[in-house]
Amino acid sequence: MISQIIISFFQIIIILALSPLLSGIIKKIKAFFQIRKGASIFQPYYDIAKLLRKDSVVSENVSWIFHAAPVISFAAVLTAGLIVPVFISNMPFSFAGDLIAVVYLFALARFFTALASLDAGSSFGGMGGSREMFIASMVEPALMLSIFAVALNVGSTNLSQISQTVSAMGLSAVSPYHLLAFVAFLIIAIAETGRIPVDNPATHLELTMIHEAMILEYSGKQLAIVELGAMVKQLLVFSLLANIFFPWGIADSVGFGSIAIALIVFLIKIIVLGAIIAIIETSTAKWRLFRLPDLLSVSLMLSFLSLVSFIIVKGG
Amino acid sequence: MEEVIFGSNIMQLFIALILVSTFMILGSTRLYSCVRAFGIQSFLLACVATVVGISTGKIDLYIVALLTLIIKAAVIPYIFIYIIREIKVKREIDLYVGISPSLIIGGILVVISYYLIRSISVITELSSFALSASMSLVSIGLFIMISRKKAIMQMLGILIMENGLFLGAISLTNGMPLLVELGIFFDVLIGVLIMGILIFRINKTFETIDTDMLKNLIG
Repeated sequence: MISQIIISFFQIIIILALSPLLSGIIKKIKAFFQIRKGASIFQPYYDIAKLLRKDSVVSENVSWIFHAAPVISFAAVLTAGLIVPVFISNMPFSFAGDLIAVVYLFALARFFTALASLDAGSSFGGMGGSREMFIASMVEPALMLSIFAVALNVGSTNLSQISQTVSAMGLSAVSPYHLLAFVAFLIIAIAETGRIPVDNPATHLELTMIHEAMILEYSGKQLAIVELGAMVKQLLVFSLLANIFFPWGIADSVGFGSIAIALIVFLIKIIVLGAIIAIIETSTAKWRLFRLPDLLSVSLMLSFLSLVSFIIVKGG
Repeated sequence: MEEVIFGSNIMQLFIALILVSTFMILGSTRLYSCVRAFGIQSFLLACVATVVGISTGKIDLYIVALLTLIIKAAVIPYIFIYIIREIKVKREIDLYVGISPSLIIGGILVVISYYLIRSISVITELSSFALSASMSLVSIGLFIMISRKKAIMQMLGILIMENGLFLGAISLTNGMPLLVELGIFFDVLIGVLIMGILIFRINKTFETIDTDMLKNLIG
């Protein structure tokens, strides 16, 4: 019992500690491909530390939602962090929720960010909020379907159980439906983390920004929380990707050695995924907003194909 | 024997990738990426033929795979690119049905072909994946032919249908007699050449290869 609580605490600390590092690493890899030197991989830590020392400037016209939204979003994302397997597959809190809970915790965070963006009454905020909801309406079904394809194979929607079973199956888990669902999820991961071709995290250009437009009114400590929440969400989406589709190397029991190995393996997986994202970000241009349904329907179709081929192969 | 081959993981993988490449053609709006996806699809077909060849030990199938690789994955895409370059056609394709609806219709076609194939009682459960994939290739090829305006895309659609038939033939018979295969390859190549010449003629007469414009009277 005690050890499980310690594991949960440890996981939250790991998530909080690693998520700025992941952002830093992706930025560094991007800089490498653009033949720039780039900022240090620890820059996101410095940014957040600096923001935490500053005061917030808040508009007089905002309601309580504006103050509550960063905290609620951050809490929702961290709660999802208790359910998503990161370095150990049998999560102590896995009884509390499955993949549907994770999807809706992300949706809760997104809902409050969008509400807060409307609250300040700036035109950019409303624009960002409406775009975010537009994308979310297509991302959510695709996200569900793609994990369902794997969940059907395992016979459970519990993330810990999916991770355990796939990791126990070894390489024989690699099947057409598995790969199709993986590619579908990769497209969704790009949309969820707000990366090119869906959104550009490095710009504040009025016409194109989505996530940046929503948090335009925030400053100081609140901005630090919002930024950290976005980074944590990015890490969680990546660890979903890593630990559902190729969970090999994850610790399946509590033990010092296995957890140490699992942490190193997890770090390698995350860096590889970050490199893939960085390559996609450098090699593609941002898409027009109204072409995004095409991209996301490709993802939806791939997860649909994955489900259909699962049924065909297993003879449903 | 058949069950062993088509149940094997690698085979399923190739067939799933063939389906994905078909959806790449459905989902892209650029002529070049459509042609590239067709090349990938043919290459994967050659891989399928090789895998069947290895597991049945038929030498014929290696020749068929090699011919697929040369004719369908290299020569025909080259002819396409040559046509696109020569008649300086606009690189984007015009559609009657948008990208997202096309993808959804494609998905529905896959499901329909699966149910059609399943109702044939002779087919074993395992080879039904290959057969329903081939059936969906045929129907998606037909759909591409009727939903795209450019004559080049109609040519591509018929080639996708042909690829589907090829996949179906391999999965049903474990390789047809070499003579038949050679005849088919020759037919396809000549067909592509004739269609290419036809596209040049359409372009010369109407100054467009948009089949929507063929209704206009030329005085």
